[in-house]
Amino acid sequence: MQISLDVQYIAELLPILFKYLGVTMEMALWGFFFALILAVVLAVVKVFKVPLVHHAASLFISFFRGTPLLVQLFLLYYGLPHYIPALAGMDAFTAAVIGLSLHFAAYMAESIRAAILGIDKSQMEACLSIGMTRLQAMYRIILPQASRVATPSLMNYFIDMIKSTSLAFTLGVAEIMAKAQMEAASSFKFFESFLAVALIYWAVVVFFTRIQHIIETRLNKAY
Amino acid sequence: MITVQNLSKNFAQNQVLKDISFEVEVGQIVVIIGPSGTGKSTLLRCLNYLESPTSGSIEIGTAKVDAGTATNKQISSLRKQSSFVFQNYSLFANKNALQNVAESLITVWKEPKNSALAHAQTILKQVGLADKADQYPSQLSGGQQQRVGIARAMASKGEVILFDEPTSALDPEWVEEVLVVMKELARQKQTMIVVTHEMQFAKEAADKVIFMEGGHIVEMGTPKQIFDNPQHHRTKAFVARAAKNAVTSFDSSML
Repeated sequence: MQISLDVQYIAELLPILFKYLGVTMEMALWGFFFALILAVVLAVVKVFKVPLVHHAASLFISFFRGTPLLVQLFLLYYGLPHYIPALAGMDAFTAAVIGLSLHFAAYMAESIRAAILGIDKSQMEACLSIGMTRLQAMYRIILPQASRVATPSLMNYFIDMIKSTSLAFTLGVAEIMAKAQMEAASSFKFFESFLAVALIYWAVVVFFTRIQHIIETRLNKAY
Repeated sequence: MITVQNLSKNFAQNQVLKDISFEVEVGQIVVIIGPSGTGKSTLLRCLNYLESPTSGSIEIGTAKVDAGTATNKQISSLRKQSSFVFQNYSLFANKNALQNVAESLITVWKEPKNSALAHAQTILKQVGLADKADQYPSQLSGGQQQRVGIARAMASKGEVILFDEPTSALDPEWVEEVLVVMKELARQKQTMIVVTHEMQFAKEAADKVIFMEGGHIVEMGTPKQIFDNPQHHRTKAFVARAAKNAVTSFDSSML
């Protein structure tokens, strides 16, 4: 068997795929934004053991960590609209962002919670002693310190999320993986097409890993 | 101004505070002494509700809390009547010295940021740290950190400042600068309750000394009564031992 790699095909395909990277990154950024907000809320609810609500938070986290992202996306986009008509008009991009947010929020909540619990409890006591409420203490003192601890693992989740957006093609989102799939199907150059998309993902991840290092160095200098 | 009545605290089966009652007048300096592990710190932490007492009542200024029926609102108003100086400083690690002092003014008392920071700067100056305003706790010496801790407590507008062994975690070389600040506060008639092993401070600055052992108040009185004429045999033994230790450390420092 002769292995032939059509390098020129890859070179021509790269700029075409690159145009679809915008959709991929938009999904990842929105997904991370909502996941972060939800994760902080879940983590604080669990740390404070807010009555009843923290059981709901635990159930949420258990479900979204305990089932595959692909299954969650299918449930959300193909399943739920049958029962909740309001969701019927939801486009694939929105569904993908919601699915990614919920899934990653569950993971990120646990790492934020661990970071909060890692902050010395005397910091909370000092806040209470000068008359602050527990929520003020969380917002002003504990979370800023915990965010420094949690940043490396949150950046890892962001990088993981960029790669996970590739599953959105199964919902019909015209992102970079969907485009690669289409090109492969029409040219029959499967290896080249998927190698090209892999190279783009790789380059993006390397780029954000560099950013991660820069952010961590800065955070370590802060105080 | 401060009335503590029949205060008890249990940790599981272990009763660490037994029926504590005492009063403190405005401007008084009360020093609590006694062997380690006798509930002195727990008592102080109960006054600030960092620990919840099991029974009894605490009244500071206008706030009154009965253990058992305490609401969050009552606890919060009790906490605003006092502030706390921690043994290990517990400065906010993500805030510089000035921000540490200004935090309660901004967050609790809702002062505009600029006036809070100016106010905080004045207080930092009083503890001799005006030039350290922009330093983070990790950049300060132990003695400096504790002085910022005292400044933070001064800023929080409480009626009384509670000191929990403020010099115990310090290297000997930093103890004096903290005591100087505390003595200055005493001179200004700032109401304080101080748990300490610094007997010299108790003798010089206290209006009232409370000797605790085994979760009880064994004896209380003026420094003269407690140190020169103790009545209870446990107090006598403790005071004699403390005096002997002071002499020993004095001798070794002369070598």
